[in-house]
Amino acid sequence: MVELEIQVFSDRREGLLAELGRVVAANSFSLIRQRLTQDSRGAWLSMIVRGPMEQRLALEEMLGTHSRVLSFEAALFGEAGAIAAAPVSVPTQMAPRTLQPSPVEAMSPPAQPVAPLPAAMPDVSQVEHTLPKLAHDYPQIYPWLVALENSVAEPARESSLMLAGRRTGTWVYKRDYALGAKLGLADAIKRIGMPALRALADIEQHGVHVHILNSPLCAPGVHSGCKFYGGYLEGLLGASVTPKKVFVRHLSCRSSGAAHCSLEISH
Amino acid sequence: MPMQLSYNWLLVLLSYAVSVLGSFTALQLAVAIPVATTHHQKTAAVAMAGGAMGLGAIWAMHFIAMLACDSSMQVTYDPALTALSALVAFAACSAGLMLVGSGLFSWLRLLAAGTCMGLGVASMHYLGMAAMMMPAVTSYNMGLVIISLIIAVVASMVALWLAFNLRGPLQMITSALVMGMAVCGMHYTGMAAARFEDNGGQLPDGYATGLRGDNLGLTIFVIVATLLVLMLVLYYWRQRYRSSLNI
Repeated sequence: MVELEIQVFSDRREGLLAELGRVVAANSFSLIRQRLTQDSRGAWLSMIVRGPMEQRLALEEMLGTHSRVLSFEAALFGEAGAIAAAPVSVPTQMAPRTLQPSPVEAMSPPAQPVAPLPAAMPDVSQVEHTLPKLAHDYPQIYPWLVALENSVAEPARESSLMLAGRRTGTWVYKRDYALGAKLGLADAIKRIGMPALRALADIEQHGVHVHILNSPLCAPGVHSGCKFYGGYLEGLLGASVTPKKVFVRHLSCRSSGAAHCSLEISH
Repeated sequence: MPMQLSYNWLLVLLSYAVSVLGSFTALQLAVAIPVATTHHQKTAAVAMAGGAMGLGAIWAMHFIAMLACDSSMQVTYDPALTALSALVAFAACSAGLMLVGSGLFSWLRLLAAGTCMGLGVASMHYLGMAAMMMPAVTSYNMGLVIISLIIAVVASMVALWLAFNLRGPLQMITSALVMGMAVCGMHYTGMAAARFEDNGGQLPDGYATGLRGDNLGLTIFVIVATLLVLMLVLYYWRQRYRSSLNI
């Protein structure tokens, strides 16, 4: 048996402990202690869990790739400065390991105001501020997305767009596509991903590759907004092909001179 | 001498319309089975979907179609067999919808669910035919009976696939139209398989106490009205749910 100290950062606290608790239990671990706090950037969950050594990697993999987890660290409990000295990180798409907050930050949320934001962490408060407007005006949401881009610091721009996309995609899935059977990835792309994405942009689909033509978020010579589409597809398709997690890779972007923006979907 | 059957085409069309209405309501309830989070929600969705399909799309359709059929003799229906036919339709449809709605979708599940529902449609029909009391003897062309079974099973499978795998208006409309074809296709093929021979005016026991067309008409009206109310409530509830979702 091992005891692990796990620290998780998520965009919101509602249901976080219940969802991650299920992952912990599913891997034959039991929750010894937990602490859930919230600050302007999101929710911080610290857990001490105990379970079989052979399940440790599986647990870390599932937590690290969970859709609610933006960043994640785990270490053996009781080792002095365990996470600080030897982080066992499973970075998510959104928050690379090198850019995760320090353990001190994770255990004790910083006092307000928080500045500057860690690089590549989404500006959760700005995203939360924008989301109701996206829901209200969907699918005419580009003005709000441009406003979001302009309202966050440059290092947080792409991850904020991605978070907004993921939350919007999950919402659209629940609203319009949740009724019916769970689908395989190819069917989910064809029957859910493409009709939903067509409401936002002109697209072409070739298997797992999606081309976004004339994306208003990716004009030549300016910033790329492709991360929004990636997050949108991950949120939209993630729920329909569970238990697998969907990843979207960005292959090319109009903003860097390509003819169109290309994404690749996988799980 | 075999009797000639004639049909009131308006009632035939009405039977298809009722079947589509029942299928639409049932399948819209059924597609919520995979997203049910509690046992109670799942049971409620299965029971309501099974009821709409078994009693609305199949049972009510069958008896409207029987009212549309004129065999130039007075027919009554055995109450016990008539009730049993409704129960069988409800049970088979509930089982089929639960099969296809639970767990991950697979071709094996679809085959099992389609067979269950197709046999449910057919069992209801042939039990309903057995409930007929009239001065005639009924016999069947077995080739056409088998074809009616195949129609019921295959069309049920197609309808279930459409309902659970597609999304949007195509999912809602097409699946109901196809399920209506499954029920009506089976019924009218089954009717074509039946042959009624005059037995010289001998009435079976219980003929006088059997259910008559006017009794059935009232029951059918109640079922169809319930289906309509259920569909409207479902539509209203889904609209409220959509607008209450937090992004």
